[in-house]
Order: sequence, then C-alpha cells, then structure tokens
Amino acid sequence: MKLSNSTIQETNSNTNEKYRHIYVIIEHFEGQVVPVSLEMLGEARRLMDDFNRKYDSTEKVVAVVLGSNVRKLCEELVTYGADSVIHANHEELKYPRNDIDTKVIVQIAKDARIINEISPEYSSTFVRPRYLFFAADNIGRHLSSTVLAELESGLASDINKLVISDLDIRHEHKTKGQTVKYEKILEMYRPDFSGFLWTTILCLDNKNPENLREYHPQGCSIIPGAFKPFEKDNLRKGKIVEYSPKIDQDPKIKIINRRVVKRTIDYETSKVIVSFGRGIKASPEQNIKLVEEFAELLGAEIGITLPLSKKPYQLSQNMDSKYMIPDRVIGTSGSKVAPTLYVAIGLSGAVQHVAGMKDSEVVISINTDENSPIIDESDIFIKGRLEDVVPMLIDQIKKQIAAISLRSN
Amino acid sequence: MKQDLLNAAVIIKLEPDFSEGNVSYNSDGTLNRAETKNILGPHSAIACNAAFYCRVKYGAHVSIGTMGPPIAESALKQAQMLSDAEELNLYSDRLFAGADTLATAQVLKNGIEKMFGGNKIDIVFSGHRASDGETGQTGPQTAWKLGYTFLGNVIDFDIDLDRKVVFAKRLISLQGMDTIIEEIESPLPVFITIDPSYRSIFNSISQRLSANTFSKEAKKHSQDYRQYLKIFDSKKLELDPKLVGLPGSPTIVYKVEKIPRAKTSRKAQIVIPSNPNNLTPVIEKIIQTVRGK
Repeated sequence: MKLSNSTIQETNSNTNEKYRHIYVIIEHFEGQVVPVSLEMLGEARRLMDDFNRKYDSTEKVVAVVLGSNVRKLCEELVTYGADSVIHANHEELKYPRNDIDTKVIVQIAKDARIINEISPEYSSTFVRPRYLFFAADNIGRHLSSTVLAELESGLASDINKLVISDLDIRHEHKTKGQTVKYEKILEMYRPDFSGFLWTTILCLDNKNPENLREYHPQGCSIIPGAFKPFEKDNLRKGKIVEYSPKIDQDPKIKIINRRVVKRTIDYETSKVIVSFGRGIKASPEQNIKLVEEFAELLGAEIGITLPLSKKPYQLSQNMDSKYMIPDRVIGTSGSKVAPTLYVAIGLSGAVQHVAGMKDSEVVISINTDENSPIIDESDIFIKGRLEDVVPMLIDQIKKQIAAISLRSN
Repeated sequence: MKQDLLNAAVIIKLEPDFSEGNVSYNSDGTLNRAETKNILGPHSAIACNAAFYCRVKYGAHVSIGTMGPPIAESALKQAQMLSDAEELNLYSDRLFAGADTLATAQVLKNGIEKMFGGNKIDIVFSGHRASDGETGQTGPQTAWKLGYTFLGNVIDFDIDLDRKVVFAKRLISLQGMDTIIEEIESPLPVFITIDPSYRSIFNSISQRLSANTFSKEAKKHSQDYRQYLKIFDSKKLELDPKLVGLPGSPTIVYKVEKIPRAKTSRKAQIVIPSNPNNLTPVIEKIIQTVRGK
C-alpha cells in the first residue's frame, strides 16, 4: 500500500500544532547551573534559530528548571538563549530525585496551560514538546530514561552532534518498506565506545498502516562539553513561567545525608598532563598506579579518554572515583588543554580526544600500534606496551634527576 | 523466619569481551565483532555480586534474567556462578530483534513479573551500562515500567528486612562540580543500578563462612545450569507484539559512519625501546620541556 502525499502532508501540519518547541532540562548545583545545561541551551538556540528560518516558524527554546526558589537562576538562563523558562518551584525539588523529578517533568511536558504563556496561539492544540534535551550525566542519564519511558517515546543517549532535517525514510517497520518523507527530524549522532564510529539515531513515528503511532518528544541526552554555550547577552528578553507542581505527600526516596567531596583537578595551570586510555586494560589497577607514579615524578595532572569515563573496568572505589570520572576527560567532551608537555599513554587518538590536546607544545605518546591516529599528533612516538615503557621512563628520569641534583650541588 | 523474606533479581547482558587477548579491533579502530568473544558483561557481573551479597546477608532468593539469542545462556551460567541464583531466565524470541531500549525494557518488565512463578521481586539489580550498547537507559526504563523506585549510581546498600526499607549510598559527579555522596532511604521494591566501584563486603566471620558455602554451592549449581534455565518467548511473557522488537521501538539506527580523522599536524619520531638507551633522547626531551629550557 502506498501512502498518498496528501495523507502525509496532513499528518505534518497536524504535528506542527501538537508538538512544538525544544524543552531543555536544566541541572543546577548549589545555586550554579551545571555547564552542560548552558551548552545544551546554546545548541538548542542555534538549532531553533535555523529551524524557524527554514520552516518560517516561531518555535521556542524552553528551559525547564526544577528547584526550590531558584528564580534568579531562571533569569540567568534567558541571557544564555532561553526564550522561556519554566520554574517548577517546590521545597521537595531542592535536590534531584529521580522519582519526583520524572513525574514533574512529565506533568510539564503535557501541560498545555504552560503553553498558554509561551505560545498562546497553540495552547488548545499543544500535546507535547517536539524535542527534549537532557544532560548525559549521573542525573540526566537516568532522568531522561524514566521520563521517556513514561512519555513512551524515543531517546538516544550520549549525543555530541545534532541536526534537524527532512528525511526520506524507508524502513522495514516504520514505513512498511515504503519511502516516506519525515519532516523536522532530529538526527542524533552518538560516538560509539571506541570513539571511531558515529551512529545516527532517529526517533520516528510509526507510519506503518498496521501500527500507526506517534512518538514525541524526540529525546536525547547530551555529552557534557560537546557543544558551546550561547554567548551571554544581558539584554535578551524572555519569559519566566512560575509553575507549582503536584507532588505526592510522601516522596519515596528520602535523602538522609549529602556529602560534598571537593574537586581538585587543575588542567589550566598544569605544565604537564599525562593521559591514559583503554591501553591500561590488561591490568587496569596496576597500570593506573604506574601512570600515577610517572605523573607524580613530572608534577603532572592526570587525564583520561572519554571511553574510560564510562567505567569499562572494575577498579577499587578510590581509584574509580578519583580517575574514571567525566571531569578527567580530555577532548571535545571534556577539557581542552594546552600544556607544555602532553604524554599520551595507551590511547589511540580518537578525533574527539585529539581535538582536546592538539594545542599542547610537545606531545609524546606510548602505544603498541604504529597505525593509531595518535601518531599523527605526536612529536615522539614510543612503540611498546605501557607496562614495559613507563617503568623504563620512570627509572631513567629518576636517575637523571639524581644526576642533575648532584651536579647542581 | 526472615530468611525467606527477600526476592532479588538481576538483569544481565551478554557482551563482547573487551579484555586484552580477547578483543579484536579492525584496523580503523572499530570492534571486530566476529573475532571478539562474548562474555557476561563486567557491569552485569558487579550487579550479580550485589545480588550475592543479598543471598549471603539476607538469605535472599536470586533470579537472573536476560534478553538475547540462545547463546546468551552462557552469560546466565556465569551469572549463576557469581550470584548462586536459583532461577535463570532467558527471554528469547525473533520478535524481540531490533529492539531499542524502550522495547527491551518492556520485555524485561514482563520477565521480572514472571520470576519465581510471579512472586513479587523486592529488589532488582542491573549494571551501570553495557560496554557495547552502553546507553545506560535500559535499567531505569525497566524500573519505571515496573513501577519500582529507581536508584542509580549506587556504591553501597543495606536492607532493613523488618521495615522493608533499603539504605543506599550514591555517587553523583557532575561536570565541573564537586562530587556528591548521597545517602538515601527508600521503601522496597526498588530497582538499583550498581556503580562500577561497588564492592560487597562481608564483615563478620559468619558472613564470610556463609559466603564461602554459597559460593561453592553456586559453582556446583552452575555446572548443571540448564536445570535452572527457563526460556520464555513473547507468548509466554504475555507480551503485546506491538510493544516489542521493531514495532515497539520509537528509535531506529539511521546510519553508522566513521568519524573523520583529524588532520596530521606533527611528524612523529618513532622510538622502539628494545634497549633502555633508546629512550635517552626521550628523557632529555621530557626533562628539557619540564624545566622550560
């Protein structure tokens, strides 16, 4: 069966009234917006400006903030590109809790009264947001999952590139093998675990006549550091919508205690950075200890590659919470660094990593494989297993340091 | 009396083995799936350890579930060895093929509801994320569909069987912010994703002895794991075919492409350290650079 053009057109105009805007779920911590939230807003702003130009439309970037009296923070979001900010204000929302936050976000996503304040012309037709952004971090990863499970729509995780386009799709189930035009589809690009492949995920309505179903919002979680925030503009005007969420009398999760462990990583002032990647895998714990010893000798800060922040190895709790964390990631999805000396240990040099370290003055890499892309970004490439090479380097540097201090005496 | 009060479940996944000697990469850096062995995923294994902790400390009954092709049996066997599970469930059906996380969560939800003949599961564990698919979405989505309270990034937990309450410690690290360790309390049932840094600690002699006994028992049982194995297709799970596999998946994989390689900007001097003296120029360079000469 072939779907006629008119049917498809009709569906689209319909969709334009039902599904509107990008909603961005903002995270904050002790009165500060988590940087990834501003990065998401920046990307949403760029996408929406293009979208409105291309489709001659007036859809908005809507920031959603859950908190207890954080209106000041909401006002700040306008200067970072939000058209509207929904301030869900309740004392139970002071700290993130998955069960409560999920219910509140779902309420907001389905609430047409809010739309009355944001774009009144569509308040009677609005059903849900068109797109929904979360951070791919310890809070957003789970929140995005539960929210989209409740909304029964699609979600792609760990995205670092987004494009909105019209696509001709031919799919075994979605279109029953026919070519069908889909409009305003969010192409969600996620790098795979190796950092070498990009998979594009789409969230598409079922247009198969045997299983017609609409899937909105098109949801994704975004890797911290992947996008640039919008340049702060204090003159930007936007609307803050105060929202009183309905919250169960007795929330299931009770927070008994919260302890803050101070952050100590400093890439800005470090002259030397030593980074490691999946090359540590043969015996992660021991190899990290080797890297630690080497770094200490050079007074270096330690960095990791993106795949390691996803915790592929089982390590002692101390080591895990110290190193395998997003804050240590060097690359487009983490910190961009430019030390005097960068030592790349057991990492292959995926594009996203190289982009974060290529401005280093001197680069030395240690790798078993001469075909690894990191060689193209190295001044010296030591071919060998890190287990063999690093101890040799440690040993010789110690001797040199001893010799130098003897001479200077 | 308390001994029979807790039913625990673990959701696991068969994954490529990324450890040295087992994993194989293509020359372009992508995974060579044909040459790479499959094992119980390392995060799944940690979730099994958490269930084993419940087995030892609370005498919990443990049931394991996985969605996958028939070869996923091998992961169930390994999981039984770690957890001393009394029941292994494989959810396998051609109709499940092509499932995204939402459609997978639907299968797992129905599967968990059928564990132990439909007796309610009090606590479900899953890994932090799979090493290959690695979305980290399946656990929380399954939890939500079950109507269980979801607790993520759990590094430690204990259960008060009388009050049917779980105490958990969670690790939350956000970009550019200090790390938070949060202690929470929640009534059962709960669905927990275990942080990779979780360790089960048995702190009394009797617990250690009992851990030893259960562990031996687990090894013995897993030799004979087929005896504990139940296979469910979509009919047995009473699943609506429209909610599983391709029909139940909102998302599709549209394309896979190589991320373009960065432009070469340096010409590397290659050093082969067959003799430690070969490293002398490297050491000189390092010391020069560090000292700013």
